This record gives sequence, C-alpha cells and structure tokens, in this order.
Amino acid sequence: MNRMAMLAALALLAGCVPKKVNEQPIMENDQVVPDASATVAAASAEAERRRAEAGASRDALRAEALASCAPAICDAVVRGEVALGMNEVQVLAATGSTEDAWSIRRSGASLVMVPMDPRVVPEDVVGNLAMVQLTDDRVSRYGYAEAQGVRLVNEPFDATAEGRAQAVADQLMREGDELAARGEFDAALNRYDRVSILNPSDPMVDFKIARVLDTALRPYEALIQYQLFLHRLEIEKIEARGEAAAQLAEAIALAQQRIVILERQAR
Amino acid sequence: MKRLHRFGPWAGALVLLVLGAAGCSNQQVSRIDPGTVTDLSGRWNDTDSRLVANALIEQSLLGPWLDRYATGHGGDAPTVIVGDFRNRSQEHIPVQTFVNDLESAYINSGAVTVVASGKEREDIRGEREDQQEFARADTRAALGQELGANYILQGELSSIADEEETMRFGATRKEKIVFYQVDARLVDLESNAVVWAGQHKIKKYIERKPFGL
Repeated sequence: MNRMAMLAALALLAGCVPKKVNEQPIMENDQVVPDASATVAAASAEAERRRAEAGASRDALRAEALASCAPAICDAVVRGEVALGMNEVQVLAATGSTEDAWSIRRSGASLVMVPMDPRVVPEDVVGNLAMVQLTDDRVSRYGYAEAQGVRLVNEPFDATAEGRAQAVADQLMREGDELAARGEFDAALNRYDRVSILNPSDPMVDFKIARVLDTALRPYEALIQYQLFLHRLEIEKIEARGEAAAQLAEAIALAQQRIVILERQAR
Repeated sequence: MKRLHRFGPWAGALVLLVLGAAGCSNQQVSRIDPGTVTDLSGRWNDTDSRLVANALIEQSLLGPWLDRYATGHGGDAPTVIVGDFRNRSQEHIPVQTFVNDLESAYINSGAVTVVASGKEREDIRGEREDQQEFARADTRAALGQELGANYILQGELSSIADEEETMRFGATRKEKIVFYQVDARLVDLESNAVVWAGQHKIKKYIERKPFGL
C-alpha cells in the first residue's frame, strides 16, 4: 500500500515540472473564427462605388471627346490610341483614364501630362505613356515608356509602324554600341541582329556586326559580314544613293582591308 | 456452475468493466461549425488556414494598391493570376485551402479580376480549340480574347519549430513551439514591382504533460 502511495506521489511530482512558456492563449478550442465575408462585402461596395464614379467620368469624357473631333482624331479615340492634334479630353478618352491618373502642369501655352504614379502608368493600345505634351491645347509630342527607353512621337510618321520600327532600331543600335564598347560582344550582336530585322536596309548594321565578330575572333563569320556590307553598298550605289555610300568611305576602306587580311589568314 | 458462482461478484464487475471499455471506443461523428477552433495535435489545421485566409483577404482587399490601379486605369479592376504558393515548412500543408479562399474573395468582391492559371488555361484552350472544329459557328468561343494579367500572386509558407523534453522521476513532459509565417506578394508582370505584400504569423504552444496531468 505504501509502495502504491509512493508511486502516485512521484507521478504527481513529475507532472508538476514547471512550464517554460507562461503566455496566455489568444484562441482556444470551441471558439469560432468568423469568415471573411464582411471584408469581402466592404471591398465589393468600395469597388462598385469606384467603378460607378470612374465609369460616369469616363463616359462624360468620351462623349465630350467625340462631340467635335476631326475624323482621324475620332478614329484614334475609338481605337484607344493617342494621336498628334488631340486635345486634353481626347487624350483622357483615348487612354481610358481620368484626370486623377495624370499630373498636369501648365506653363503658358504649353501643358505637360505625366503619370501621377510611376507604378501605374496610363496606357493606350500602343503602350505605356511616359508623357504627353500639348501646345495651344493640341498634342504636339508624346512619348512611350519602352524597353529601350522613352520613344517620342513628334510627327505623324513616328506613330506609324515604320516610324516605330525606326525608333526602336535606333535605340537598339545605341544599346549595341554601348555593349560593344564594354566588350560584351554576344549581347552587342544580339542587339545588332535585332536592328537588322527592324531596319534591313541599313548597311552600317552589317559593318558593326562584322566589326564585333572580327574583334570577338570569329573570322569566318566576320569575313561574310564584311562582304555582305560591301555587297549592300554596291546595291545602294546602283540605287543612286552615292552620297550615303560616300559617308561610309572609312567603313568601306576598313571592310576591304579586313577582307584581305581575313582571307589570307584563312588560306 | 458452482465454480462460476464462487467468483460471482468479481465476474460481474469484470463484465461491467469490459462493457464500459467497449463503450468508450464507440466511434461518434458529428457535424460541427467549420469556423470552430478544434486543435487536437497542434499541427497545421483548418483554423490556421482560415486565419491566414482572413488576414490575407483583409490586407489585400483593403490595401492601397487597388485604389492606385483604379486611379490610373479609369476605375478598372486589376487582373490577377494566382501563381505558386510554396510550402517551405517541415509539415505537409495543403496551401491551396487558403489560396482558394483568397481567390474566391477576389472574385466575389469584384474588386479584382482573376484569370485562370497554368493547367486550367491549357484545359480551357483545348476546349476552345475543340469548339473551332466541332461547334456551330455562332456558338464558338472566339480565339485571342483572353485577358492578360497585370499582376501575379505568389507566396510561401515557412515554419520554425522549437521543442524540449523535461524528465523528472521517469516521467517526460514535452513542450513545443511552432511558428508559421505566410507571406504573399502581388508582383507587376511588366515591371516586377511588388505592389502589395501581405503577411500572417501564427505561433502555437503545444504541451504534453505526463500521465495526462
């Protein structure tokens, strides 16, 4: 009997090991955790209010924008594309935005619109707009934020597919030149290759590709590119564009010289 | 019979004990409120999932990112795709429960447009392509009308555990702390900018006393 009592006492003692953590629980069994329906309902009401307000404002802007516009401008508004010659309301209608989305600064006859928040940039069908400049209440210049930097539209040609390709090609060419100067030849070749797709008629691209290949010790490919460069120039001469070719005199001389050297090395 | 009679009172007690023990092992199933806290083992359970879902829903639906997007886009709702939620804890945790709660809240609130992700998209495209060949012309779902997402929702669940056993007079007391942290992020698909980050932490203290004391 005594042994039993001793065992029981030991067990009780063992159970009385002090707790290491004495924090009070913040939630216990049988409590109920409500679901998030109240939060969802509040968010839903707020979204509805926002949509209704912005929708009404957008509809009003669109009606005003289309009320008295030239056919080309009306087409651009309907397409959702900013165009030269639009007024401020037409820009808002074309971008489907309201004044809240823009920081608008006026200075004399000039007005500049830039995105209010750089994280949420207003856009048209072409891309994200970096700025829109209006002179005498008409769009005189606007720019898109693109991968290679801001692309400006100053004249109608810039807004066409060809104009855009030309602008992107120029930006890629600059990027390729910088990469080549840093000795990153593969990356430079990547940019020049992209330029040659966008602007296949520019012989300078072939010359730059040849120079990079030559510097990167890829003689066979360089030789072909130098020859292609001269071949293109010949075609250009036939097309009576001698002036352009004359400007490339130095490049031509260098290409011819390198062809001779590379051909000798190949033998 | 005589022998049985001799153990009469003891046999009766034994039979009662066996019956009582058998009665204790009877299985009982009852439906209970899914919102009720029912912690049994201390491992991740439905209550944790619900707490995480509630916190993330509140943080994301009432966060400033929605207002910012709507302001920049004439009141439009942003389009979100639900990406990967990784379980980096030491437990097997079905993260899809709270991710689905979050997705449902987005859809039902109307504040966010959710587009189908990954495998779902492939299935839907397969069905749409099937329609182009076999469905009546005026009932075909048009191609090239998918919504591109503005943001992707990603996240991860991590856990840290700390435990100790205390021995006294041959009896062991176990104490364990488990800490769970769920992080969720909405990332701009164009710029990689994180437009919203939500977080919920759960800390549990699990105590196993010896002899049920």
